[in-house]
Amino acid sequence: MPDTHFYRYDDYDRALVGERVEQFRDQVRRRIAGELTEEQFKPLRLTNGLYLQLHAYMLRIAIPYGTLSSRQLRKLAEIARRYDRGYGHFTTRQNLQLNWIKLEDAPDALAMLADVDMHAMQTSGNVIRNVTADHFAGAAIDEIEDPRIWCEIVRQWSTLHPEFSFLPRKFKIAITGSPNDRAAVRVHDVGLRLWKNEQGETGFEVIVGGGLGRTPLIGKTLREFLPRDELLAYLEATLRVYNRYGRRDNIYKARIKILVHEIGVEKMREEVEAEYAATRSSALKLAPATIEAIARQFAPPPLRPKRTRVPEVEALKLENRAFALWLKSNVSPHRVAGHAIVTASLKPAGAPPGDASAVQMEGVADIADAYSQGEVRVSHEQNLVFPHVAIESLPEVYRALERLGFAEANVGKITDIIACPGLDYCALANARSIPVAQNISTHFASLARQHDIGDLKIKISGCINACGHHHVGHIGILGVDKNGVELYQISLGGDVDFGKTALGTILGPAVEADKVVEAVDALVATYLEARADGERFVDTYRRIGARPFKERVYGNP
Amino acid sequence: MAKNLSGDLQVASANRLIDGLVVYLDDAGQWTPRLDRAALARDKSEGAILLERARAESFTVVDPFLVAVTEDDDGTIEPLSLREKIRAAGLTFDAIASEAVRYA
Repeated sequence: MPDTHFYRYDDYDRALVGERVEQFRDQVRRRIAGELTEEQFKPLRLTNGLYLQLHAYMLRIAIPYGTLSSRQLRKLAEIARRYDRGYGHFTTRQNLQLNWIKLEDAPDALAMLADVDMHAMQTSGNVIRNVTADHFAGAAIDEIEDPRIWCEIVRQWSTLHPEFSFLPRKFKIAITGSPNDRAAVRVHDVGLRLWKNEQGETGFEVIVGGGLGRTPLIGKTLREFLPRDELLAYLEATLRVYNRYGRRDNIYKARIKILVHEIGVEKMREEVEAEYAATRSSALKLAPATIEAIARQFAPPPLRPKRTRVPEVEALKLENRAFALWLKSNVSPHRVAGHAIVTASLKPAGAPPGDASAVQMEGVADIADAYSQGEVRVSHEQNLVFPHVAIESLPEVYRALERLGFAEANVGKITDIIACPGLDYCALANARSIPVAQNISTHFASLARQHDIGDLKIKISGCINACGHHHVGHIGILGVDKNGVELYQISLGGDVDFGKTALGTILGPAVEADKVVEAVDALVATYLEARADGERFVDTYRRIGARPFKERVYGNP
Repeated sequence: MAKNLSGDLQVASANRLIDGLVVYLDDAGQWTPRLDRAALARDKSEGAILLERARAESFTVVDPFLVAVTEDDDGTIEPLSLREKIRAAGLTFDAIASEAVRYA
C-alpha cells in the first residue's frame, strides 16, 4: 500500500540521512581498523543510536511520533531478521530497540532504514530526542488537531540543530492534541498541549520541567497559550535559556527540570519571554504555507462513514467472551462513524512487554494494509495501534491478531505492564524488570479477573533512570540492588492522566524479587475489598490512602 | 562449596569490538567467550597485572575491566555479581524467536 498520509522525506531529508549513513560507515571502518579509539568513537556511535549494552550493541531506531507505515514496519522486521536475532523491543519513547546488532553491520542496517525514510539519529546524547505524540493522533474522537504536524515541524527544526547539539543533558518533547493526554506531556522536559481558547484559536499550552528519573518532577506551565505559528521561536527561546543556565557540572542536576526547580517557573518564564521577544519575529515564525505543506502530508485517510452497529460484530460478541472483552479494552472510538482504533497488545500472558518477532511485525504490517490504511502506531505504553479500522472488520482483525498472539484483551489492565529492558540487557540497570513483569502477567493472566480488577497501570523500572516510568504507575515498581540482591521498591498513586498527573509515593521497604507478585496480589485484594462503584485502583488509593495497602503488604506494625 | 567470596579472585572481561560479545582474557592473552578458560588473578596485585595485560590486548575489544568471581572446589568459576552472572550466562528469560508467531 502506498504511503499516502505520512510525512515523506524531501530531497533535503534524504540527502542528510544518506550522508550521515556514509559518514558512519567510514567511522565504523576506522574504528575497526584501529584508527579511532573507543573514546573517540563512542560519541559518534551514540549520535547514531548505537549503544553498547551488557551482551551486545543495541541500535535504538527513532520512530518519529510513533507513526509507522506498513512498509517501514516490514523493513524493521527485515533488519531484525538479517542483522539481529529476529525480534525487537518497542520502547516507552515510541522507538524500536534491536538488542543484538553487530558493529560491522550497523551501517548497513542504517542504510536500510534510510531506504524507508527512517534513521537512528538523536536517539542518544545530549540533544533533542525523538519527539513523541499521542498514539491515537489523527484518529481520536477527542482530538482538537493532529499533533504529528507539530511533531514533524519540531523534528525538522531540531534535527542536527547546531546550537542544541551539546545541551547540558538530553531533552525530550511530547505533544498531544487532545484534552485526554495520552502522551504524558507533564512528565517531559517540554510538553505541548494543543487547545482552543475562547476566541476559537488553536494554540499550545507550553509545559516545562517535567521528568522522571532520579528526581521526578511534574512540569509547570510556562505559557498558557502560544500561537501555533510561534512554536519554534518559543522553543528556541526555551532551549537557549536552558543551554545557557542549565548545569553542566553535575550530570544528576543537568536536566531542565532542575533548572526550573532551582530558579522557579516565574524566573524561567521571565528569561524565556525576554529571549522570545528577540526571536519571535525572526525566520522561526512559521509561515501559513509552511504549516499547510506539512499538514497536507498528514491529511486524514479518505474514510467514509459506515454503519456503527454491525450484526456480525454483535453476534461474535455474544458467542466469544474474549472478543467481547477485547472490544471493551482494546478498541477505542474513532472520529469517523463506523470506525475504531484498535490496540494490539504486545503483552500476552507471560511475555516480555513490548517485544515482537520479525514474523509478528510482518503480520502487523499485513493487518495494517488490509484493515488500517497501511498505518501502525507505537504507543508509549509499548503496544502497537491500528488507527483506522472499520467496525465491520473488527472480527477479522481480532482473529488475525489472535494468530499473532497480540489479541490479549488487556489494554489498560493489570497485565498491560510497562517495563524497561532492565538488567537482562541494560548496562545502567541495577535489577531485572522483564522477569518481574512476566511473573505478574502470568499470575494475573485470567482475562475475567483482569477485567474485574479494571484499569490498573503497573510500570517497572530496573534502575532510578525510570525508563519504565515507575513514578507514574498506579503501582510503580523500582528495582534496586542492595548488597548484590535485587529488591523491588513499590510505590502507589502515580498517574499521567491530564489534570491528575501525580508521582507515586513509596509504600514501604523494598521486597525481594520472589515476593513482588505476592505484594501486588495483596494490593489488588485491598482495592477489591475497599472500592466503591466505578472506582479504579488509583481512585480507591486516593480516597482511602496508603495505610490499608501498607498493612496488607507488610502486616500490622 | 564456593570459596573465596572476598572479591580477590578476578578475571578480565570486555565486550568484543566487532559485535559486543562478552569475552574474557585467557592465559595465552587471547579473548575468549568462555569464562571457564579465563585467566584467574588470585589477589589484588595479580588483578592489577591482569588488567594491564587486558588493556595491552584491547585492540579488538572495548573497555576491559576486572570481574570478581568465586571458584568452587572443582575449579568452576562464577561471577559474584548478578550483572556479571547475566553477562556470562545470557538472558534470564527466553526471548521470542525470530520466526515465532506467538510468545511461547
